[in-house]
Amino acid sequence: MTQDLKVNIKDPTPNPVWRVIREAAHSPNISLALALGILCLVMAGLRPETFLSQGNLLNIALAVVLMGLCALAQTLVILTGGIDISVGSTVGLTSVVCALVASTGTSVGSGIGAMAAAVGVGILCGMFNGALIAWGRVSPLIATLGTYTAYQGFTYIVTQGRSTAVLSDVLSSINSAAVGGIPVPIWILIVFALVFGAFMSFTDFGRNVYAVGGNPVAARLAGINVKLYLFGIYSLVGLMAGVAGVVLTAKQGAGIPESGAGDLSLLSITAVALGGAALTGGIGTISGTLLGVAVLGVLENGLLLLNVSALYQPVPRGFLLILAVLIQQWRGTLRLPKYLKFRRPHEPAAKEE
Amino acid sequence: MSGYGVRGVSKRFGPVHALDQVSLDFHPGEVLGLLGENGAGKSTLLRVLSGDHQPDSGTVIADAQPVGLTHPKAAHDLGIFVVYQEPELYPALTVAENLLAGQLPAVRHMVSMARTIRMAEELIREYGFEGTLDPSALVVNCSPAQRQCVEILKAAIGDVRLLCLDEPTSSLSEDESHRLWALMERLRLGGTSIVYVSHRMPEVMRLCGRIVVMRDGQVTGERLAAETSEDELVRLMVGRTLSRMFPVRDRTPKKVRLQVDSVTTDSVRDITFTVREGEILGLAGLVGAGRTEVAEAICGVVPIRAGQIRLDGQLMDATSPRAALRAGVALSPEDRKAQGLFLDRSIAENISLPILRRLRRWGPFLDLARERDIVADLMARMRVKAPNARARARTLSGGNQQKILLSRWVAVHPSVLVLDEPTRGIDVGAKAEIYALIDELARSGMAIVFISSETPELLGLADRILVMSHGSIVGELAASDATEEGIVRLALGA
Repeated sequence: MTQDLKVNIKDPTPNPVWRVIREAAHSPNISLALALGILCLVMAGLRPETFLSQGNLLNIALAVVLMGLCALAQTLVILTGGIDISVGSTVGLTSVVCALVASTGTSVGSGIGAMAAAVGVGILCGMFNGALIAWGRVSPLIATLGTYTAYQGFTYIVTQGRSTAVLSDVLSSINSAAVGGIPVPIWILIVFALVFGAFMSFTDFGRNVYAVGGNPVAARLAGINVKLYLFGIYSLVGLMAGVAGVVLTAKQGAGIPESGAGDLSLLSITAVALGGAALTGGIGTISGTLLGVAVLGVLENGLLLLNVSALYQPVPRGFLLILAVLIQQWRGTLRLPKYLKFRRPHEPAAKEE
Repeated sequence: MSGYGVRGVSKRFGPVHALDQVSLDFHPGEVLGLLGENGAGKSTLLRVLSGDHQPDSGTVIADAQPVGLTHPKAAHDLGIFVVYQEPELYPALTVAENLLAGQLPAVRHMVSMARTIRMAEELIREYGFEGTLDPSALVVNCSPAQRQCVEILKAAIGDVRLLCLDEPTSSLSEDESHRLWALMERLRLGGTSIVYVSHRMPEVMRLCGRIVVMRDGQVTGERLAAETSEDELVRLMVGRTLSRMFPVRDRTPKKVRLQVDSVTTDSVRDITFTVREGEILGLAGLVGAGRTEVAEAICGVVPIRAGQIRLDGQLMDATSPRAALRAGVALSPEDRKAQGLFLDRSIAENISLPILRRLRRWGPFLDLARERDIVADLMARMRVKAPNARARARTLSGGNQQKILLSRWVAVHPSVLVLDEPTRGIDVGAKAEIYALIDELARSGMAIVFISSETPELLGLADRILVMSHGSIVGELAASDATEEGIVRLALGA
């Protein structure tokens, strides 16, 4: 053990640029980034005209906005060792709430009111989950499995099962407007991704989330209010679901109870897991999740361009997740870097116990 | 002659020699007492005998043949049964099913519950435990003592040749203890060898024919009970080696910092003591005596049922670790991996976690340069051996992990620091460095509560030593005139 350490203390390459490259080669995201690259290359080779066109790339981005928004928040939940299955239902509920408020008039006020209502309802849904899990000590899987169904039920109750057309221009303009050639929904995802990334890397909140997930006992002893953090994180999922609900309503121009938003739960969990997060908590990054979202987006788009029937599309998506997790498992034993003549920068070769 | 024994058994856990060339014979029809302080290697020896642990070298002897015990079933097949303090039973099944596990009366896989219970009832009566055990009760509803009895009965029912009991009477009542001893006597007369591990000296002296003392993984003495005294056994247990590992003790404790007044929790009673600024207060006692529980009470980890704690004369809020930490009381926990460290995070993140609020610069955004400076400074001061501050905690040796944990609390600079077993499982060199660091912290004015199972460490470092036993403080000694024997005797309640 100590001997191994000594070997590694000597940094064979002091050049900082080389070191950054070496570290990148060892980062857990590297295989996913490679997979994304290969996927894009294959698609560009098979459909050279369409795949790399600006319109198609924007299509991919637009298609993943909802999943991305949910996956960002889902990352934090999974970092704490929890899971939120209800996020999709929450999106569905906030979407119809948004549409209901926006159907009251064409004024700017009703549009803004609709957004506020959607986000507010989302936060309430998240707070309920958070309270159940943090103070009620219900397992996250069970708590959100329950609310997944309940929130879906609310969606039908408030709409009486009917779709509601949006009248407010403010709301529909979210979908139609573009800034710098990029549609607003994509900007929303970009902004939230940056905010989440910065918060997780550079603030005490982010550090504490990692602490709560990595070792709740130690986090408590280090003076972190673990329950409050759990509550806050599930509430944040609700907030993001609210934002996603607004985007969904704007996209559809209506609030549709059977919009299929429920799928977002599993999609967001898939993206996070694909991004290298451990479902046991403590391990995972926002950048990994974004890569996971991108891979799923490109895959779906690719299958579409290749005219694969929609019936077959879920199959590769499912197996991709399993493959990604398998690769992560292998990486532990295969030690790819060794074959690539890379030495792990800071870690002794032997695992402790 | 059908002998059981061990020959030259060694077992290492990392740098620690849990067992070092241990050779023992267990004679048929003899009760062998096994004594030793915490960590002397008694439990490891039992784990080797039960097949739980495989020795690094050496072998177990059964019927004069060397045998390889790869799992507990192999030990059972050879008639070796080990009963631990924490019985390993099926909690959701009945006492009867547990007793007859593996040999339930069944016809074509259909078990008759009535027959099972009847058979168990007979067995319980036959072995003298009627009245204490209800065969139809679920194990989960049994008291710890009853579970212990089930475990012992299970061993007795199987064809037991070597029975090892680890602190069997610690959870038993007087009456149950007598029934156990009667059963032991019966098994002994039937030719079973019995190994009896206990901290209760009078019991060992009365029950055992031969007594073996272990220390630091080695057998340090073997005596016939009739020819030895408690004094001699205690001397053998603690040894006499006290090297100059410790800093010179010329600190001058000043005013009272922490005042603990009749604090009672679910596991400790009526704890009263004070710690002064610049003082190291040692807390001695056997595992389970309540030392960790006292630490947890002071630091807000467990609720306090009665009594109060004052810090610099002010009533202290000890309702949560967060509140205690804000008041200035920090706990460095016993199990550094499970309770202290974030193994998959970097050294820097492990150290700076509790001081992040202080490192805020723009809103919640952290001053990473200052964090780097603080961490680098602490790592140098603590002589942490690691490639750099970004190395993951998991990759460090035990001693360096402990230094990281200490660095965390040094960065917080609490007014009271509670250290629970800060040197457990780390090598001698790192220990000496940690002693020097603790001394330095005390000199800087911190009040330190130092919990350790290694008595020499307490004698070498602490100014005063409190001895705990069964959830209460049973004695206070000035370190200058305390002896290992004195402490062990108080801790044993002898």
